[in-house]
Amino acid sequence: MSVAAVTATTEGYLLVLAIMWPVAGILVALVVNGRNIERVAYIVLPIGFAIATAVVMAVAQGGQSQIYVVGGWAPPLGVALRADGISAAMMMTTAMVICATGLFARGEFVQPAEGPEARAPYVFWILLFSIWSALNALVLGSDLFNLYVALELLTFAAVPLVCLKGQKETIEAALRYMLFALIGSVLYLLGAVMIYGLYGTLDIGLLSGRVRAEPATWIAAALMTVGLLAKTALFPLHLWLPPAHAGAPAPGSAILSALVVKGSFFLIVRIWFDAMPGHLSFAAAQLLAALGAGAILVGSVLALRQQRLKLMIAYSTIAQLGYLFFIFPLATGFAAGIVWSGLAWTGSWMQLFSHAFAKAAMFMAAGLIAEALGHDRIADLGGIGRKLPITMFAFALSGLSLIGVPPSGGFVAKWLLLIATINEGQWWWAAVIVVGGLLAGGYIFMVLGRLLADPLSPLVIRGAVSRSRELVALSLAVCAVLLGLVPLQPSDFLRIGR
Amino acid sequence: MTMLADMPAVMLLAAAPAVPLLMIATAIVPRARERLIAYLPFAPVPAIVAAITVPHGTSVVLPQALLGLTLEIDKPGAILLGSAALLWMAGGIHARSSIREQVGRFAAWWLITLAGSLGVFLAADMIGFYFFYTLVSLAAYGLVVHDDTPDARRASSLYVALALLGEALLFMAFVLLAAAAPGGSVLISDAVAALSASPWREPALLLIILGFGLKIALVPLHVWMPLTYVAAPTPAAAVLSGAAVNAGVVGLIRFLPFDTAMPAWGEALAVIGLLSALYGVIVGVTQANPKAVLAYSSISQMGFIAAVLGMGLATGNTAVPLVVAFYAAHHTLAKGGLFLSLGLLDARSPRYVWLVLLPAAVLALGLAGLPLTGGQLAKMAAKGPLGDGAIGTLAHLSAAGSTLLMLFFLLRLNTTVPQNMAKPTINPPAAAWLVVAFAALVMPWILFPTIVGASWRHALTHKELWSASWPVIAGGVMAAVLWPRRAILRNIPQGDLLILAERCGPAARRVAVAFERTDDALRQWSVASMCIVLLVLLTALALAAS
Repeated sequence: MSVAAVTATTEGYLLVLAIMWPVAGILVALVVNGRNIERVAYIVLPIGFAIATAVVMAVAQGGQSQIYVVGGWAPPLGVALRADGISAAMMMTTAMVICATGLFARGEFVQPAEGPEARAPYVFWILLFSIWSALNALVLGSDLFNLYVALELLTFAAVPLVCLKGQKETIEAALRYMLFALIGSVLYLLGAVMIYGLYGTLDIGLLSGRVRAEPATWIAAALMTVGLLAKTALFPLHLWLPPAHAGAPAPGSAILSALVVKGSFFLIVRIWFDAMPGHLSFAAAQLLAALGAGAILVGSVLALRQQRLKLMIAYSTIAQLGYLFFIFPLATGFAAGIVWSGLAWTGSWMQLFSHAFAKAAMFMAAGLIAEALGHDRIADLGGIGRKLPITMFAFALSGLSLIGVPPSGGFVAKWLLLIATINEGQWWWAAVIVVGGLLAGGYIFMVLGRLLADPLSPLVIRGAVSRSRELVALSLAVCAVLLGLVPLQPSDFLRIGR
Repeated sequence: MTMLADMPAVMLLAAAPAVPLLMIATAIVPRARERLIAYLPFAPVPAIVAAITVPHGTSVVLPQALLGLTLEIDKPGAILLGSAALLWMAGGIHARSSIREQVGRFAAWWLITLAGSLGVFLAADMIGFYFFYTLVSLAAYGLVVHDDTPDARRASSLYVALALLGEALLFMAFVLLAAAAPGGSVLISDAVAALSASPWREPALLLIILGFGLKIALVPLHVWMPLTYVAAPTPAAAVLSGAAVNAGVVGLIRFLPFDTAMPAWGEALAVIGLLSALYGVIVGVTQANPKAVLAYSSISQMGFIAAVLGMGLATGNTAVPLVVAFYAAHHTLAKGGLFLSLGLLDARSPRYVWLVLLPAAVLALGLAGLPLTGGQLAKMAAKGPLGDGAIGTLAHLSAAGSTLLMLFFLLRLNTTVPQNMAKPTINPPAAAWLVVAFAALVMPWILFPTIVGASWRHALTHKELWSASWPVIAGGVMAAVLWPRRAILRNIPQGDLLILAERCGPAARRVAVAFERTDDALRQWSVASMCIVLLVLLTALALAAS
């Protein structure tokens, strides 16, 4: 990220719009009658989607970052918003998953036709808009303090999603999540303050030119990184994730697992590849990847041992997040002596995007199954595949992407990461990636086998499952598969702006 | 390239795997799904036409929207494709009348497996190969589990676990190949050409042999095969044992570098192959279930194929892919035909049993190289690469073992027929089966001159006839001695070594429980808080260590 480029580009206003549009939706939602909030969503979702598309087009056509300088004050006086290739791709993924979740939630969060307004539907939409705005701010921000604000907004919008239904155990899970996320925030803020004290700026572009290798920097960076790891639920800091992601209602789980945990990961990448490029030592990168490897192994084995479907999927999220952290040893370019390894860079982002689609689809499928059966005990799922073939198909497709079977985004991600491990001479991570795929195959087929099996006793279906909601889950799973059609080489788009 | 003139050929090539996949797309409509099974025999038709008519060397690069796959047909590929497609067709005709429950689901799994099974013979790039290989490996799960009995569930769980293991091994192998290929090419030919100079040659070869060895059930990676073939419905067992197994054969043909002599790897593969060939016979004769006998015969036959491939690798013999394809194609038709005959025997009244048994006997002994059968030519073709050394002699001797095993199969078949008569009968048409049996007999005679460059008359000389006859006679004598004493053969459980492996179950469970305990501990607040502090310190220290 070069310092000279801090002048606004012509389409930069789109970036402000991307952050402000969902906020406008919240404001309107606050004044309209609660029964009309769904109609507000019908306007906010498609236009927000269009904005994200426009940003992607602008970045792709320009071949460079889109920049907006807030109030015309360039850093260090003011702050800038910047959309490079990865932010644009993140925005697109976010928009797709949020819109799909909105469609999916239509059936779940409706105001009752009569009687007093229910709280959950009202709150859900407001939280959805808030998360959208926060994620856009997070991927567009270029100032460590602004990013902190976005991160907090994200956390505080995500926590209530866990306990929308208000049962005791989900409130416990939400509190657990909030406390741990707050610890993460404090660490991050502490690190950011130290950085400001050291270098007099929090702007990422300016920092990259000023950062020196000294103990205070290392401590600040360690504080920020570990704080963000806690929010990403990277092993061994994952205590809050299984109850929170498994306890939330299906649309909430989809957003939490697909998007929210990725926000803090994105920030870790910003720190190490943009704010302090070249300062990540080989040992520290190995440490991060080792935690990722631990996540893959422990998360996958635990997923295999779960008896409830949603918990299995939650542990699978812990495992799949682990792969993301191979970006640090593999994309930094330790072996080649260059600052760039496009293979691992593309592979890691592909893992993030395909996991977002696959996991959202999987949580939705699990939600539909639980809705039809009234439970999600894996042992008693027999025969449901015959009743809900589309849901089963969605589960299977997203599962194949998690395993890394071609064609799927998961396959592309693993292929690129594995080639990078070989090129970088770090074959030990290859072993973890391969074993992780094998274990994922185990837990996916464990469930698929039950879905296909004959029921032990005649199935009692509690309610009709809406076909359109099944199709939403399926289309997200298809997105994960379609990502597998990209060429198996470093992506030029994801490289824009660096 | 004259695109217009090649168009029909190119279209046929793409249609071979595409038609079955498109047929599955119709399964979205529930009513079409229920009827799909009636059309199964038509799915492999483009592949049969392509195998016969498309000129060797024709290739097509599909657009990026179809993964940018490269399909190419060569002679070994065409032979394997044609024989497999023919068996899939006969199997489809059988399935149409014998599968009565969950027909929509069965048809869907069948077509996915079929598309993969035919696609692997045509894929010229690693991504496409892996894609088709995954289809044929994983979708077969649905065929094995179809009857949903406890045995079927056990067999399919084991099958899918090992199939996933094979997938993982091959994924890594292909990554190692691609990492060494010039300019990031994913073409199999480029990657294999670069293999001998690759720094990762040894691990890549090991992974290739292990990965494909699982598919062709080399001992001790064979435990899944008997369980799977016994549990699967008869037509499914026929296509899995005959056609799907060749995904492993074609993998070894494509990915082993036969242009460079690698004595150590080659001889190791040959020895394991011969051990498998022997092991299959020894355990096979103890089996009471004819399907299990056939499964052990497959282990034995695939071991023989591995021995030929191994000797080819050891000596750098580039003719081996064609010879092995020829041998494997005969095995496809003969083994598939034998499985299908089991389905016919279930349905026939005792008076007509001999009408099935007689052709079955020819097919069975053909696998042992009985003179005048296609099997004689298959064994003759294999002699060249095997050579005259110890391995060649032992491989030749293995034909006696095959005879013994096949005679046991026929005798077991004869003794189990009356039991099956009690079942409600279905009546699959015999014509399709007869075509396969006939093809097993005749196809090798037509192809033989193009494989070894000698006329088929060469096979009728006294020397060759005697060479093919004495192992059969020896096997016959062994069977005559052993059959009356079969009571002393202890019935080894299907999957033999599996029983030993299952003893490791408690150990695996203990590992999983240890993981669970770790997770429980880490999810304590006190531990997690400690972890945070520790991680901050560790990260800061690691950053300092630059």
